[in-house]
Amino acid sequence: METAKTPVNAIECKGITKRFGTVVANDHIDLSVKQGEILALLGENGSGKTTLMNMLSGIYHPDEGAIFINGEEVRIESPNDAQSLGIGMIHQHFKLVEVFTAAQNIVLGTKEKLEKPKVMQQKIATICNKFGLEVDSNKKIYDMSVSEKQTVEILKVLYRGAKILILDEPTAVLTPQETEKLFSILRKMKEQGNSIIIITHKLNEVLDISDRVTILRKGKSIETVNTKDCDVSSLTELMVGRAVSLEIDRPENKEKQAILKCVDLTIDSLDGTKGIEDVNFEIRTGEILGIAGVAGSGQKELCEGIAGLLPVKKGAILYKKENIVGKKPLEIINLGISMSFVPEDRLGMGLVASMGMTDNVLLKSYNKGRGPFINRKPAKKLAQELVKKLDIVTPSIETPVRLMSGGNVQKVLLGREIESSPNVLITAYPVRGLDINSSYTIYNLLNEQKMKNVAVIYVGEDLDVLLELCDNIMVMCHGKVTGIVNAKKTTKEQLGMLMTGQEIKEVAKDE
Amino acid sequence: MSSTETNAKKQNRFTLRTVKRAQLPKNKVAMLRLAALLMALLAGAVFIMIIGSNPFAVYKTMVEGALRSKLAIYGTIKIMIPLLITSLGITLAFKMKFWNVGGEGQIIMGALFASYFGIFHGDWPHAVLIPVMFLAGMLGGGLTGLLPAYFKAKYNTNETLFTLMLNYIALNLVIFLREGPWADPTSPGYKKFALFTENGRLDKVFGVHAGWIIALVLLILTFIYLKYTKHGYEIDVVGESTATAGYAGMNVKKIILRTMFISGAICGIAGMIEVSGNAGTMSEGVTRGVGFTAIIVAWLAGLKPWSIFIISALFSIMEKGSSVVESTFGLSAACADVLQGIILFFVIGCEFFIRFKVTISKKGGTN
Amino acid sequence: MKKKVLSLALTFALAVSMLAGCGTKEEKNAEPAATETTAKKGTMPAIKKEDLKIGVIHITDPAEGSGYTYTHDLGIQGMQKNIGLEDSQIIRKNNTSDQDAVAIQTAIEECIEQGCNVIFATSWGYMDTVEAMAKEYPDVIFSHGTGYKCNGKNFNNYFGRIYQARYLSGIAAGMKTTTNKIGYVAAMDKQNSEVTGGLDAFAMGIYSVNPDAKVYVKVTNSWFDPEAEASAAEALIAQGCDVIGQHCDTSNPMTAAQAAGVYGVGYNSDMSKDAPNAVLTSTMWDWSAYYTAAVQQIIDGTWDATNYFGGMKEGLVKIAPLSNLCVDGTKEKIEEVQNKILSGEWDVFTGVIETNDGKTVGEEGKSLDDATITGGINWYFKNVVEP
Repeated sequence: METAKTPVNAIECKGITKRFGTVVANDHIDLSVKQGEILALLGENGSGKTTLMNMLSGIYHPDEGAIFINGEEVRIESPNDAQSLGIGMIHQHFKLVEVFTAAQNIVLGTKEKLEKPKVMQQKIATICNKFGLEVDSNKKIYDMSVSEKQTVEILKVLYRGAKILILDEPTAVLTPQETEKLFSILRKMKEQGNSIIIITHKLNEVLDISDRVTILRKGKSIETVNTKDCDVSSLTELMVGRAVSLEIDRPENKEKQAILKCVDLTIDSLDGTKGIEDVNFEIRTGEILGIAGVAGSGQKELCEGIAGLLPVKKGAILYKKENIVGKKPLEIINLGISMSFVPEDRLGMGLVASMGMTDNVLLKSYNKGRGPFINRKPAKKLAQELVKKLDIVTPSIETPVRLMSGGNVQKVLLGREIESSPNVLITAYPVRGLDINSSYTIYNLLNEQKMKNVAVIYVGEDLDVLLELCDNIMVMCHGKVTGIVNAKKTTKEQLGMLMTGQEIKEVAKDE
Repeated sequence: MSSTETNAKKQNRFTLRTVKRAQLPKNKVAMLRLAALLMALLAGAVFIMIIGSNPFAVYKTMVEGALRSKLAIYGTIKIMIPLLITSLGITLAFKMKFWNVGGEGQIIMGALFASYFGIFHGDWPHAVLIPVMFLAGMLGGGLTGLLPAYFKAKYNTNETLFTLMLNYIALNLVIFLREGPWADPTSPGYKKFALFTENGRLDKVFGVHAGWIIALVLLILTFIYLKYTKHGYEIDVVGESTATAGYAGMNVKKIILRTMFISGAICGIAGMIEVSGNAGTMSEGVTRGVGFTAIIVAWLAGLKPWSIFIISALFSIMEKGSSVVESTFGLSAACADVLQGIILFFVIGCEFFIRFKVTISKKGGTN
Repeated sequence: MKKKVLSLALTFALAVSMLAGCGTKEEKNAEPAATETTAKKGTMPAIKKEDLKIGVIHITDPAEGSGYTYTHDLGIQGMQKNIGLEDSQIIRKNNTSDQDAVAIQTAIEECIEQGCNVIFATSWGYMDTVEAMAKEYPDVIFSHGTGYKCNGKNFNNYFGRIYQARYLSGIAAGMKTTTNKIGYVAAMDKQNSEVTGGLDAFAMGIYSVNPDAKVYVKVTNSWFDPEAEASAAEALIAQGCDVIGQHCDTSNPMTAAQAAGVYGVGYNSDMSKDAPNAVLTSTMWDWSAYYTAAVQQIIDGTWDATNYFGGMKEGLVKIAPLSNLCVDGTKEKIEEVQNKILSGEWDVFTGVIETNDGKTVGEEGKSLDDATITGGINWYFKNVVEP
């Protein structure tokens, strides 16, 4: 019990409930953040973290419950209300005007935008000095790296006088080094008395940065603990609800044969900018090649280029020594190259949200068989088999997949690709947004394929997983390959350096 | 602190908010729809009383006017044929999330192509002329559908604007042809299209021109096409996500072009049937707004062929009934339109309440 | 508006088709199609008065009326009164677009479905559809206004000699003018026989009393265009015209005349209600003359499917009572000519007529035949100044 003038809690939420149709996203959540504290909000995807934070920033409105800011009950009707209450949110996807400079973005929408540039820059510089932020306020956003853009976002809310900062998965797009820098800024803010909520599902970061952790599970607040009393396994247990083994298998397949080789591959992305440039690599059957890199380093272009969805500008893709550049997507599928890309919205590509499992299983094979009519019988059978084999939970195989949970949806996606018995299986972000248990099912499936002499390309986000699952890891930065390393002999820091384009001492590939 | 205070002051008002609803059970949905219908009739009744008529008599006449005799039913069916066909046509495009609001133009162009043969080749034998007109109608509508699809596929133009504008181009093309090149030479003082010869007229089957058979066949074909063919499956996938479709190896552009051709062709058939079966020649008013009404029908029916059949039947009954009400009670056409509008307002509004509910929120939502 | 397209179609082709289609029993070209109401046998069986049910297809709503539908409906009401029919014996289908054959069909079929055995279709554009419907429903009598087709059995046409009234109104205008410039707002150009014939009759009426006056023409190219009609009248007034005649739908030329302090001759209905300080008189239709005669013939069993082309004698066309604005002696002069027309002693297009391009039309002692009057007048009388 403190008797200070300012209340103990910067934010206090009591019994917050939010429903979307039948889905209860937040179920009577309690949460409090003290003044000058970093609170980590931990939970698996779909546990309601983002929904809760969106209510604090005025984007959603709670159906039930009360919010107190600095001890006073408030109703946050709009982002403007949140701003006047001193709450600032840094979203996962930046909301910046690309053609404006940093300074222009920072003052956008405030009264100060009319002031002289010098005055504005003075003010920006003051804030930067206070928290140790580094930004060139005259640089245009499109010239900036992801981490720089994030800095601008943070400056934007600080400029508006935010005392309470909410960061939604801020590290997902950062390299380990950049993450460290961000954390030191956050610590400085804390020292100045600001309160910070950080959403993440990376346990190491939680342990590193936070004072306390509130764990959400399935829309409920499970527990709030002091960080210093926790470790990775105890947090996992709280998050998942039971003890989980965190070891990923890496079985060895001795029969390796070269199957796919990219030579000087250059591909433009859809908007005409450079996607990948002079990419050279080779993958063999029976191995998993990981591809690491911050988001947007060319992973998507590489995958789509191989699958024939993007035109190849230069170079060759040799599949069993035959150049497949210029072939139609369908022909490439028929050759046995399967690609599944799980985009950020998770359903956008590879699955049809409104269709049931049967029709989704059909997606790549519907055209087989003669005549104008579609034969759903084999697909139905296969869907039933997948349900059994992968423990897919669904009311029926005709239930639209959008009504299924993320993990089950991704099992359908991967299951279908595997059932087409490919020779090369390219899978990008297959565990994106999955809970830990489902992730392990997916890792096992990939290993199974590897042992069946399939060449697997795994594009991933989590460096820990890449290091444990893959045989080799190819690191990309700005569309170029900065290194191909042996996963067993590499450290996270080394990967991080490669991700930012720095040279490291060559780590021998696993041959 | 002051900003917090003013904020707190604002807290005491109530606000209405729409909230997405849980999926309602079927019987509850049916109840809601029934309630909407009752409210529509009630509101309509108030309107009828205001203009000084007896609502029961008006409603009775509306239903009777559409169904009371052979001739009345024939009239209703004649209204329904183009509406049903056009709704089916645009459903193909809508399933693909291609917002084809160019039904009007496609009907007109189908009618125009068919009319070319009806007007200039009326001497051809009936058995040749009718199939030729049918194919011409399909081609006319199909090409009109293909044009915006081509620009969509090639340059990603906005199909809503494109198809909408084509409606006006088609309409003015009709006027141009009527005023000059295709004007009836036997009527130089007054420009009009010549009547088709008997060879160019659709036969009557059981009292109504054979368009009803074509409509039913198209209904069944559309159902099968969408549900059981590879093309239908492709339309579904493209409608959901072109990225997914491309990823599955589908040629998205080709699918868009093909589907829009078929969509337009079906609308074109409606146009051919109107000129050959119904009107006996081309005219500026050939569509009677069916291209737009069909959009409402298709939406209300949830793009499902059998529901389209039912909804278009209900629309036709309402339209036919209103016209009888108009003359029986001496109401102006505007009154009948208002009545139709009231009924539609409630029925469509009800769909909103099936998906959303409105809640009143107070301070932070508590208490 | 196409509705007004009364009779554009009465062209040469009309003459041909009228005679080919309907004139089966009459070989002579010049004979007026069917004005006589002798006790000959009709082409359709008689219908008892109490069994009559009459459907009327209107292009707009008489209540919101553009003169045209309004005058036709007045005719229907007059007929109802003259014959003595119940309200329930008449069904009106208003706002039936002439550009929508299906709507016309539906309207007609709804009438038939409600028991109608006689259909009056009042707008030009219904002609082809009515012809087709007549074939489909051979037991129903179809009568179509302002067109030219008939089938000799159950489908005929009705129209009239409005030019007679225009001649008379020309007398009033010719006597009134002081600038010797008279304006005329014409809906259609010289090629349209209905408009041009009417204008010539008007001009000839003027010439008969004032050989020095000229008639200045402005064409709007539309039967219904309120703005163009007003601005045409204003332009004519600016040229110095002090009397404005019109063949178009709205009363705007009359109100324009009143605003400018000059005079005018209205059309369709008595437009002195619209511009009391300008209108000398108006040329008017009284459709009840035809409707009454036709329904009486139907009751008598003498209705036959030949075309009706009535004039002042039949009471179908007339001029409105002269206003006090007319100069003294106008009434006497008009009555004198009117009597000659009514007695059949003389008609407007009689004798050699000089045109404004120096040619002549017609022969001494003869009148132009109806086919020419309805379809072949494409010249202006000698005192007409073309736009």
